[in-house]
Amino acid sequence: MSITANSSGAAILDIAAPSRVRRLIRANMAVILPVATALSVLIVWQIVTVAFQIPRVILPAPSEIGAHFLTNLPALLNHARHTGLEALGAFVLATAAGATLAGLMAAFPLAREILQPNLVAFQLIPKIALAPMFIIWLGIDTPSRLAFAVFMSFFPVVISTTVGLSNTDPVSLRLCRSLAASGVQTFFQVRVPFALPYLFNGMRIASTMAIIGVVVAEFISSRAGLGFYILYSSSRMETVGIFSALLMLCIVGLVLFGAVVLAERIVRRTYLA
Amino acid sequence: MSVAPLRTVDTQIVPDAGAGTESGTAGTAISVDGVRKIYDTGRERTEAVSGVSFDVKRGEFVAILGPSGCGKSTLLMMCGGLESITSGRIDIEGVAMTQPRPSIGVMFQDASLLPWKTVLENILFPIKILKRPMAEYTERARSLIDMVGLHGFEDKKPHQLSGGMRQRVAICRALVYDPDILLMDEPFSALDAITRDEMGEALLDIWEQYTKTALFVTHSIREAVLLADRVLVMTRRPATIVEDIRIPFGRPRPRDVSGSPEFNEICVYLRSLIESGHGAAQGRRSGDGPVLQPGRRGA
Ligand SMILES: Nc1ncnc2c1ncn2[C@@H]1O[C@H](COP(=O)(O)OP(=O)(O)OP(=O)(O)O)[C@@H](O)[C@H]1O
Ligand SMILES: [Mg+2]
Repeated sequence: MSITANSSGAAILDIAAPSRVRRLIRANMAVILPVATALSVLIVWQIVTVAFQIPRVILPAPSEIGAHFLTNLPALLNHARHTGLEALGAFVLATAAGATLAGLMAAFPLAREILQPNLVAFQLIPKIALAPMFIIWLGIDTPSRLAFAVFMSFFPVVISTTVGLSNTDPVSLRLCRSLAASGVQTFFQVRVPFALPYLFNGMRIASTMAIIGVVVAEFISSRAGLGFYILYSSSRMETVGIFSALLMLCIVGLVLFGAVVLAERIVRRTYLA
Repeated sequence: MSVAPLRTVDTQIVPDAGAGTESGTAGTAISVDGVRKIYDTGRERTEAVSGVSFDVKRGEFVAILGPSGCGKSTLLMMCGGLESITSGRIDIEGVAMTQPRPSIGVMFQDASLLPWKTVLENILFPIKILKRPMAEYTERARSLIDMVGLHGFEDKKPHQLSGGMRQRVAICRALVYDPDILLMDEPFSALDAITRDEMGEALLDIWEQYTKTALFVTHSIREAVLLADRVLVMTRRPATIVEDIRIPFGRPRPRDVSGSPEFNEICVYLRSLIESGHGAAQGRRSGDGPVLQPGRRGA
């Protein structure tokens, strides 16, 4: 089967060999594809709004949103600072509390037996519906927004980390036992490293939940922040302002998300070395 | 090639190979007495090991042969204190086995390295846990890496290795901290025939340098005969021991022993024993002469 097919086989290989441009495209496919998709949606959006003369109140064109965003950038940045800082604070608190609670549940089986079913049940509550309660409990200022955002973002961290801590490779645990490793050694040198990807997965979800929490709380009570800006624009029928704030929210979300990804890299480099 | 000697030499390490002249090599290291194991999952009870008894002398290398699923791993884990004993008792160095001891090294059937650690870090993991001086053992780890043919892979992560390479790392990890007793569960199962022979020789090298007591589970008849002083043959589940033969080749074991007619005779005998199931050739010893025509299939 080898000798006769040899000449034609070589020819096929020649044709199939990708040129430099094709190779470059193929290597960056993961970036090119989503960006191209997003761009084409924007272009279609632009064409549709112009061609069908869709009223600005209903759907502003991307070009208008861009212009509005740039002219109002200082104000938007100021609002983003309020939302971003509160979301960051909530995210940090939720991560600290969630990871600590997950660690305690892993270290003390009794704590786990008591808490875990309750946490899973609590997770099922539509937490957004409780936002007004936080106003009643904590007033209309930062503490209530912060507490609500922590409440929103705490569960993904604790549940994901708990799953990670209980899914440690059983043979690695056996290895620890065979070496008569102490509980502390096993916990910090095997269980925690195995759980880190789960913790960071929970943190990624928590970073978006924290922003949602702050914005929802801002809808209810605030005098600043992007949630306030959206509500304000909407009351004045300024749809383009809503979209500008959304764009700014995306940027805030990306920054926070990116910070989590960066933190994960750093922790992997330092702790897991 | 030899393993870098440790400056802090354990009293149990006897540099002379298997001669049995030192006081350290006399006496019973492992004593298994009427051990049974029943796995009770609540819904069903599985009897994995049924009334097994044997002794392993200090410095002896004992291989356990048996069909898949017969309870070899279970028996080994009970010896390591990693699985509870349903009835009977296991004494190691005269002390009843109730919990794991770091003087007993276990090599698991499943290599399972820590995925975030490099090859070298994985091998040194026991040193870290046992809080021994890292610098001294790093040298030893490196010479073990060389012996198993992983030179140049020290800083690779497990996912960059093949299954057989991972298993070799696990072998180094079990040897690096110099346990007195080694329990090995099919350490070479993921290796090809040639690498397997090489690893067997490397193990023999290390072995003959520092005589230790070893219990070695394997599927390979040749490997058992090549490495061990004694071979225990187990039946299907629930496991019992049907044969306990002494391998007549001395130590240090000649590396070309596998070419000898006697070697093949023993292999053929063991094969017939395993194929015919239990009871068929009970009481025979390796010295009894050929059971089948020698030289048919080595392993
Ligand atoms: N944790 C467990 N719970 C219940 N049954 C088990 C458990 N571990 C093993 N068994 C059963 O015990 C029997 C013996 O298992 P074991 O792992 O000791 O076999 P083995 O001889 O090592 O097999 P192999 O050569 O394939 O590794 C099997 O039938 C298995 O199903
Ligand atoms: Mg097994």
